Amino acid sequence: MILSPGTKPYDPSGLDNLGYGKYPNVVTSDGFERILSAGGPYFGHVMRPLDREEPKSIAWLQCVGSRDTNTCGNGYCSSVCCMYAVKEAMIAKEHIHGDLDCVVFNMDMRTFGKDYEKYFLRARDKEGVRFEKARVHTITEDTETGDLNIKYADETGEMKEETFSMVVLSVGMTIPDSAVELAKKLGIDLNHYNFAKSDPFKPVETSKSGIYTCGVFQGPKDIPGSVTEASAAACLAGADLSESRGIDTPVVEVPEQKDIAGDDPRIGVFVCNCGINIGGVVDVPAVQEYAATLPNVVFADSNLFTCSQDTQEKIKEMIIDHNLNRVVVASCSPKTHEAMFMETLEACGLNRYLFEMANIRNQNSWIHSKTPEIATKKAKDLVRMAVARSTTLKPLNEKVITVNQSALVIGGGIAGMNSALNLGKQGFEVVLVEKDDVLGGMSLNLHHTIEGNAVRPYIEQLIEEVNAHEKVEVLTGAKVSAFGGYKGNFTTEVITGQDGEKRSIDHGAIVVATGAKEYKPTEYLYGEDDRVVTQVELGNILEEKGAADLDTVVMIQCVGSRNDEMQECSRICCQNAVKNALHIKKLNPDAQVFVLYRDIRTYGLMEDFYKEARELGVIFMRFDKDAPPEVAAGKDGLSISVKDHIMQQNVSIEADMLVLSAGMRAENTDELSGVMKLNRNPEGYFMEAHVKLRPVDMPGEGIFLCGTAHAPKLISETISQAQAAASRATTFLANSEIKLSAITAKVDVDHCVKCLTCVRSCPFQVPTFNTEEKVLEIDEAMCHGCGVCACVCPRQTIQLSFYEDDQLSCKIDALMAGGI
Amino acid sequence: MAEAAIKLGGKKKSIFMDKVKEILPQGNLSLCLTCGLCSSGCPATGLESMDPRKFLRMVALGMDDEILASDWPWCCTMCQRCVRVCPMQIDIPQLIFNIRKARPREDRPKGIRDSCDAAMKTETLSAMGTSVEDFIFVVEDVLEEYQESQPEFADMQAPIDKKGAEFFLNQNSREPVTEPDEMVPLWKILHLAGADWTYGSKAWTGENYCLFIADTDNWEKITRAQAAMTTELGCKTYLNTE
Repeated sequence: MILSPGTKPYDPSGLDNLGYGKYPNVVTSDGFERILSAGGPYFGHVMRPLDREEPKSIAWLQCVGSRDTNTCGNGYCSSVCCMYAVKEAMIAKEHIHGDLDCVVFNMDMRTFGKDYEKYFLRARDKEGVRFEKARVHTITEDTETGDLNIKYADETGEMKEETFSMVVLSVGMTIPDSAVELAKKLGIDLNHYNFAKSDPFKPVETSKSGIYTCGVFQGPKDIPGSVTEASAAACLAGADLSESRGIDTPVVEVPEQKDIAGDDPRIGVFVCNCGINIGGVVDVPAVQEYAATLPNVVFADSNLFTCSQDTQEKIKEMIIDHNLNRVVVASCSPKTHEAMFMETLEACGLNRYLFEMANIRNQNSWIHSKTPEIATKKAKDLVRMAVARSTTLKPLNEKVITVNQSALVIGGGIAGMNSALNLGKQGFEVVLVEKDDVLGGMSLNLHHTIEGNAVRPYIEQLIEEVNAHEKVEVLTGAKVSAFGGYKGNFTTEVITGQDGEKRSIDHGAIVVATGAKEYKPTEYLYGEDDRVVTQVELGNILEEKGAADLDTVVMIQCVGSRNDEMQECSRICCQNAVKNALHIKKLNPDAQVFVLYRDIRTYGLMEDFYKEARELGVIFMRFDKDAPPEVAAGKDGLSISVKDHIMQQNVSIEADMLVLSAGMRAENTDELSGVMKLNRNPEGYFMEAHVKLRPVDMPGEGIFLCGTAHAPKLISETISQAQAAASRATTFLANSEIKLSAITAKVDVDHCVKCLTCVRSCPFQVPTFNTEEKVLEIDEAMCHGCGVCACVCPRQTIQLSFYEDDQLSCKIDALMAGGI
Repeated sequence: MAEAAIKLGGKKKSIFMDKVKEILPQGNLSLCLTCGLCSSGCPATGLESMDPRKFLRMVALGMDDEILASDWPWCCTMCQRCVRVCPMQIDIPQLIFNIRKARPREDRPKGIRDSCDAAMKTETLSAMGTSVEDFIFVVEDVLEEYQESQPEFADMQAPIDKKGAEFFLNQNSREPVTEPDEMVPLWKILHLAGADWTYGSKAWTGENYCLFIADTDNWEKITRAQAAMTTELGCKTYLNTE
């Protein structure tokens, strides 16, 4: 059983000082989401509830119903509100084309997820969203205008007064009563905030064996985290049921394909409003009308959301009613929905490749939002081009290949071991490759989690289980040296041992779990003075020597993170500092601990530990990125100077030890990513296929990603992500055969002059020269369909199916025919 | 504020905060998130270049000399707007009370101290030192004047020591002395509402300056005397106008 009862936004009606329910222009964040939504009360036009006027200024008040044990009792951080407030401000600015003043009042901005810090910086530095480190005591309403007055003390203690058209309360996440009832009925334990109790090493397992959980019920989290945990829960439940896998699988019936050979093109065009994403800029009815006049178009329509389920039904009906044999959708990027539309065609007996999209959103309405007339003209051009191309499309057949139902896991840390073990439990053969001589990775340097669970016994047990599992083969001291093949049928060459023995491994899927390490600081006398250590080193010192000889310890956050060299937040350092500060305080209550930070990001349930640290007297001081602490070494100790954010005065701290919260750095995977052709972001972390919807899939099919190779994260998050990757790989490996895309390159051997330009140009080394037959060969199973060979072939003897030369040049002709 | 750096670190010293935490274990004094909600709502923010967050910060950093020397605690009105919204429910008013108490009585603000002392010298407990006789005279005189000048209030009463009345009404000391007319609006309301009320000839005072000067013994004496008078007259409800 998997429990995912979800969350309920906190109801701020009880907070009389904020006026929600009393002042119409005070709304909750979920209310504001509705206001922004094309399907919402104002059809996506940002208006205030009182008078339907466009707001001139909007304030967001953070931590309403979170991080508060007084007015609401929710001591936890809801984890998502900072990010959604930034997002709402950005979207509101985008929807209101004029000037909109957006201010986010906050205690700490907690943009700790992958690429979140960059988004926050973009909002602040490029889009001009203001972030005030202040909280508002009371909102009052100007009864004449409905505007809202707020007073707040800034960090210097100066009182400020501002008036806003609207106020958005960034409400936190709570567990609904119905979920509590359900938990009671099932007899599973909840924590003191009613989230399902779980162990950091068993993140998606409840207190009852066989009952799993995911999403916010497990703890506050965002969409990528929820989707990951959903896969993790499915993995564990699937392992329990692996013996019965495949015995009751429903088969999707696809009607036989219609033969359209010799038929004249009969094109249907569906123009999308995408809520107001397109319709708010482009004159969609005009585009629809125009489409109807184009050659071979027998039907044209427009929809609010062309990707919706009911629109698919409508498209099917129209295909049948109008006997369509080509379909053009003018909407968004084919990356998102092309596959789904193609399925709609298949369900009507049309070959899926008789489909074309015109991207009138990403490439049009979004970028030309300020010039609607030009955008409408461009939309017509794009539709005309798409219609022209659709006439040239031919039915294509997809090749079916068998899948090697085994996996290769790269990296033997917590992530790799968990995914290997879980794939083994699902019944698949797995080879686990670790570059070091022992399993464990970064976790071998860690002692306990912030919750107090010992890491070492967990790792030892995990290693034992992995080694003992009959389906898992472990190769330590091993390096990936060569890689080839295609989804479902990869071959990886691994060099093992000192003698460099080569071994070739055939496998159908890959899990990348290469991990990350602690940044080696160059700042604050690190490496010059022994009294300056990192958090990981402090963990070792506390374990070995205790804290009896420590009078004062200073910690500096964001060392090697959130700076010009590394913009991203390393996510784990705040909780690491709090964990070690608590450890010091528990070992030696008289030791003084100062944490110098920029934003404390103890998200989710970890906020309790931040509170405990303050309770035990740990002092937290915020500094600015531009005014970092200064460290001087003396004979008797270190002297750390910083400005206290509240006193607005310099503070000089005499300390025995300075601990740097050094951020995370991805493992060096230059060689591996080169060999395997896997994409990484500028920070060196591997890229997922889709941040929210496919968080553990890599862009290439059959390749999955987990752990800190993806981005910095906690052990608990690494484990659930590893289970998720195993789950996704299971989904892939469970089928004994798969269909390949028909978009592959084909060479006309009769006209090929064997110049081998394609062989040299292919980024995937697919074209080969068959020396026996003396012909060039392109294996369609290996071909990625990128089209490089087709472009470079001087004789145009290579054609990429679906993108043949005339299928592209006709678009240019159609564009030119409209005049520029 | 001095520009010299605040010295922290070294060996742990006992600080004033530790003492208050012992008396006030529920005060949550260490829990401050430095969010500033208290300061945003405090009527004393900005006075003496101080605000509740900054003051609590000085306490947390062990700046004991500065906090004990500061006059800002005497700006606090004990209104509790801070603790009401504080996410950590930090009892700043209690902290302020203990800081006031930590100052020798003779060094506390003279105006408040004199008011407390004056109250302790008379049975009325009036901070203005008004005697029983003067209070009775003023109330009766003002009542008579209004009964005559405003015929619609000819029947209005302002009873003193009426046994068994429903409400015991207290009275700010300043009004009978400096602005006697200001007593009347409330009488009118009570009259029109048909309320059965009375003043006491003794302990009728509404204010308690001994509380504000952090003189706990005399604060208690005043409160007990007010309760005793109410009980003596057999009133069911003590109506506090302050």
